[in-house]
Amino acid sequence: MKIEVLFPEFANLFGDCWNHRYLKACLPEAEFIETSYCSQPRFASEDVQLVYMGAMTESQQELVIKKLLPYKDRIQAMIDSGTVFLMTANAGEVFCDYIENEDGSRADALGIVPLHAKRDMLHRFNSVQLCSFENMELVGFKAEFSQLYGDNAGFGFAGVKYGIGINKESRLEGVRINNFFSTSMVGPFAVMNPLFVKYLMRLLGVEDPVLAHEEVIMAAYNKRLEDIKRMMNSK
Amino acid sequence: MKKNFRFFIALWISKAAMLLQKLLGMNASYFPGKLAIKLCPDFLGRIDKPETIITVTGTNGKTTCCNMLLDILTENGYDVLNNKAGSNIDAGIASALIAEASLSGRVSKKLGLFEVDERSSKKIYAYVHPNYTVCTNLFRDSIQRNAHPEFIFSFIDSSLPDDTHLILNADDPISSRLKEGNRRSYFSIGRLPTDRDECVNIINDMRMCPKCHATLEYEYVRYHHIGKMRCPVCGFASPEPDFLASPDWKKGSFTVKTHEGEEEYPLVSSSVFNTYNQVTVVAMLRTFGLSAEAIAKSFSHLKIVESRYTSVEKDGVEVITNMTKGQNPVACSIVFDYIRHEPGDKEVVLMLDDLTYKKTTEIMTWVFDADFELLEHESIKRIVACGVRIHDYHLRLLLAGIPEEKIRCVENETDAPKELALERGEKVFILHDLTTPVMTRKVRDGILEELDRREAKA
Repeated sequence: MKIEVLFPEFANLFGDCWNHRYLKACLPEAEFIETSYCSQPRFASEDVQLVYMGAMTESQQELVIKKLLPYKDRIQAMIDSGTVFLMTANAGEVFCDYIENEDGSRADALGIVPLHAKRDMLHRFNSVQLCSFENMELVGFKAEFSQLYGDNAGFGFAGVKYGIGINKESRLEGVRINNFFSTSMVGPFAVMNPLFVKYLMRLLGVEDPVLAHEEVIMAAYNKRLEDIKRMMNSK
Repeated sequence: MKKNFRFFIALWISKAAMLLQKLLGMNASYFPGKLAIKLCPDFLGRIDKPETIITVTGTNGKTTCCNMLLDILTENGYDVLNNKAGSNIDAGIASALIAEASLSGRVSKKLGLFEVDERSSKKIYAYVHPNYTVCTNLFRDSIQRNAHPEFIFSFIDSSLPDDTHLILNADDPISSRLKEGNRRSYFSIGRLPTDRDECVNIINDMRMCPKCHATLEYEYVRYHHIGKMRCPVCGFASPEPDFLASPDWKKGSFTVKTHEGEEEYPLVSSSVFNTYNQVTVVAMLRTFGLSAEAIAKSFSHLKIVESRYTSVEKDGVEVITNMTKGQNPVACSIVFDYIRHEPGDKEVVLMLDDLTYKKTTEIMTWVFDADFELLEHESIKRIVACGVRIHDYHLRLLLAGIPEEKIRCVENETDAPKELALERGEKVFILHDLTTPVMTRKVRDGILEELDRREAKA
């Protein structure tokens, strides 16, 4: 099994690197490929089973768009054929139609996800999130300058129980197209959501997934779930 | 900006509020300034300010640097208007100016020294024109507020005036690029035996050349992105320092090579981080015009503020409290590295929760940016994690490779002393957040009582 981590030298803000580090702890037999910005993505020339990319700065988003644009058709084909993608924080914006700045200027993005991002660099939005995906509850945090706009009703990732969706008016978080998962929740999303890690492992063909430090990670997850539900019910 | 009627109303009301707060025994360091700015939004622009202004900003070390600068300047006869007693945002600076201003808004002190919160740069530098600005460094900090270093860099860079003389860290490839057209003096600490060829930290926010995007090559890395680097493609490189320091830990001093010669100063601490603070102070004060002898004389009796570091010994066990700002992964990692390199056996009590969040759920992403891996060392015998988020710490310590048998978890901090081995000759580090001074003292006293109990039993 090959798992490719794109641009880990910078797409790692907010502890996002633990999404792939934790997967590595759970999948010790898998080959993890860390592709730097100066290299050609491995998925361009061979099959990989999961592509991960994490949070980056706004200027780096624009560099990544330039870097991945020549591989747009390949990425689309991989999504269509069911390759697993996990994008956390603002990494998913790279796959949208465009990213708009406060002054109205735009950076065209890959145009794979029919949504667009709007930046507001003077107002940072922070929230705690509780979402539902299939039969599990997802927890996490948002800390963002940009939000997504457009209608993700047909391809949203998770329903929102507490917090916001792709923008302040939305109750549907993220993007899911086949096995392409994108959420603007930041940081170690996988570490905070052990049930989702098991789900990913099953998608990758692991029949009976066992998590690293399962007892402790479940205790941390259950405690956070309890905290968020208490916050939600006290409002 | 001229003083207008609105300004005077704001000044008089805020001075009255300050007087009332003082009569009530309250700390009047923030509210009067906030009130003045509310009543007169450009209040900071209209009030008189000292002729010479020094501001100190940066992610880590600004309070310590400001405290040292204030002590040394005061000892050397300067009457310095400052915001030490208050906050480092616009309201704190306004309060400091209100406290000194006459009813006509005149300020007689000639020198101002202000600590400036990076995120407040736009609000402050729009009205306060510093002659000198020190930037200690720029790192990741609270993600809710500061996002990432590139954002904070652009915030400061676009706010500072073009004629401010900058005192910058040559070893920090991020902050050293601030205001590239401004006059500047660089400080640096030369290569140390503990420097590494490659970064071992989780965070290094300067792996890619900001000019041509090639991968940077580091001659050496001290921690995170601090070190000496160059771009093999375009030649972008760490700047040459005007003040190059070489610490001698055994001798307890450091030399600083300048364009004029070499100077020697006593060290106030054995940590690299505090040495940076001292070198920053030397660079600032030497640029300002203070003599090396005067600075050295003041350093010889300066101490780090007690709330940040205390040490007490009992029955052969040294109990140390060390402020370790939660939410700030770099500050945590630097302290972890310091503990790792301290001689002898150690135990660590982690009480890093920010109490502001006690009733909610704190954004914990910083825990995964902090290098808990540095606590995985044979000399660190036990780690006790405390607080409401013990499961997160437990998991993080396991992911850092720390054996389960070394980890203890207690939700109530006051239960931590019982979990410690407290062997004679060892050091116990209590790492605490800024928001927990009372609990920190309780835990420290609890350890001393536990030592008494065990001594009585023996």
